[in-house]
Amino acid sequence: MLKCGMSGSQVKVFGKAIQALSRVSDELWLDPSEKGLALRSVNSCRSAYGCVLFSPVFFQHYHWSTSVEVNGTKSNLNCKLGMKSILPIFRCLNSLERNVEMCKIFTRSDKSKVVIQLFCRHGIKKTHNVCFQESQPLQVLFEKNTCSNILMIQPRVLAEAIVLFTSSQEEVTLAVTPLEVCIKSSTEESMDLNSSVYSEMFVGPHEFEFFQIGVDTEITFCCKELKGMLIFSEATHAPITMHFDFPGKPLALSIDHMLLEANFILATLADEPSRASSPQSLCLSQKRKRSDLAVSNSKVGKKDNKAMESISRKVAPRNLYADEILSNISTLENSGSPIMKRVNSDTEEEPGSSSLRKVKEKH
Amino acid sequence: MKFRAKIADAACLNHFTRVSCMVAKLARTCTLRIRPHTLNFILADSAAGGGVSMWCELPQENFFSEFQMEGVSEENNEIYVELTAENLSRALKTAQNARALKVKLTNKHFPCLTVSIELVSVSSSSRMVTHDIPVKVIPRKLWKNLQEPAVPDSDVSIYMPVLKTMKSVVEKMKNISNQLIIEANLNGDLNLKIESELVSVTTHFKDLGNPPSASENESEDRSPEQMAEVQVDIRKFLQFLAGQQVNPTRGICNVVSHKMVHFDLLHEDVSLQYFIPAMS
Repeated sequence: MLKCGMSGSQVKVFGKAIQALSRVSDELWLDPSEKGLALRSVNSCRSAYGCVLFSPVFFQHYHWSTSVEVNGTKSNLNCKLGMKSILPIFRCLNSLERNVEMCKIFTRSDKSKVVIQLFCRHGIKKTHNVCFQESQPLQVLFEKNTCSNILMIQPRVLAEAIVLFTSSQEEVTLAVTPLEVCIKSSTEESMDLNSSVYSEMFVGPHEFEFFQIGVDTEITFCCKELKGMLIFSEATHAPITMHFDFPGKPLALSIDHMLLEANFILATLADEPSRASSPQSLCLSQKRKRSDLAVSNSKVGKKDNKAMESISRKVAPRNLYADEILSNISTLENSGSPIMKRVNSDTEEEPGSSSLRKVKEKH
Repeated sequence: MKFRAKIADAACLNHFTRVSCMVAKLARTCTLRIRPHTLNFILADSAAGGGVSMWCELPQENFFSEFQMEGVSEENNEIYVELTAENLSRALKTAQNARALKVKLTNKHFPCLTVSIELVSVSSSSRMVTHDIPVKVIPRKLWKNLQEPAVPDSDVSIYMPVLKTMKSVVEKMKNISNQLIIEANLNGDLNLKIESELVSVTTHFKDLGNPPSASENESEDRSPEQMAEVQVDIRKFLQFLAGQQVNPTRGICNVVSHKMVHFDLLHEDVSLQYFIPAMS
């Protein structure tokens, strides 16, 4: 059960978040909790995840409660919306900012609908009823603070870098050393005459607000989702922090703002299996794989109850289009001891492997 | 073969970027010819291109503060390379706030035109950006197809009206038919005609003025009212108009009756010639 309201300028930021998440996937979860309203999105091949959490103080008013089911169990709002339904509502954000005086979002307990009402100038009221699918939100577990490399930069600089890369070039490589950072086109195979332009840009350490490079590395990830994050960061005027390690480990892009917190977690291309790695990865074709993100479902039930256990699996580096066998595991409050599964997926135990950790609370 | 050049002035850089964008709109792949004093962007006519050809020439000294080239050989001091025009225009567009831009021919696994840009960031420190644009070196035996086209003996030569007006008119005409008739006379009249079964639309431009004719015969034999006409594919004409972001310093349209239309534009110091053949 969700009920919240925002002003015109807040709608603009909210809309920007949705636009940014639309770069990740065609589906969006609306996940309210006592921490605030989280918008989550995961792409179909599980190589990108985005979450924007708006704290309760972001809104003019914010009410959230769990609903009680018939059999006495409490359930969260498990609301999955199609981007196609919700994106058009938040189009033309500049005009929304000017015209909208108040925007109310609430859910109807009887029907699977989210109602978005825009109270505009001149007494115009627009009501959108968006049907949603019952679906537990997925979230990614990623301990970004354990990453060796942390860079904080103004979004404008990143935007200047990204504009170098044409949209046809999907992947971008970030190469770092303690002396400099280079953003360049990813060169997977040997380039030939018909290949696109190779571009690179060097950024010196002094351009970053925070610069910590623990390990020299080169990571390759998809440009598209980074662009999504940049769209959003420009709206919040807050710097972006990048947390990453070695190739294969995900890259986290985050914005920490007083009123909201955004995290985009992108899988990076893993190295060739020439390193000491698991037998499983050797069975795969020689092409570099994206290591998929460890994803779990958010838990059912109130937080102040037992310590919430998240169940997670480290997914083995696999072919990009392999099917994910992600099951919706949930612990029920009155089930007693939490269920914990550790799936042996034959992957290498990386130092500080974040994904096999139990998480006490939601990200 | 060697080529290195540098642009240090912001206005020159913007102008060069605009020229490159214009070329990118007119041709997908084109030839870049480098000579000691000029640069040319060339699109030779081909069946694939529908017979359209383009010749663009810039005096190198007006753009580059440094310019060094060494052609294929002493006698043939020229370089001909083929590239995707959009790659160059995109690379140049990233040099908006550049302190300096360098272009050179390099060989990294295969020939490239490397554009190195020194960007100035807010903290007034420099940031280096490099783009390697793949190019194909054109062998000498193919050079004969890429020479400057002869200005045709036109029946009528007329100054062009404001291109933006033409473009907005022609864009609407495109919906009626694919065949556009361009006709002009020596009285300063230019008409654009389009016809379908149900409707025919003509736009009349008057008092455009005619440039002084090169040959005496032209003005004698021809009555000023007589129109010379050519029927062209409207899409090719639109593509040409789409490439012109600003109105040229001077624009001349030469009509060769039933054969072709030739546009001769001058954008400050850059000359552009565009040939559209008549539809068969």
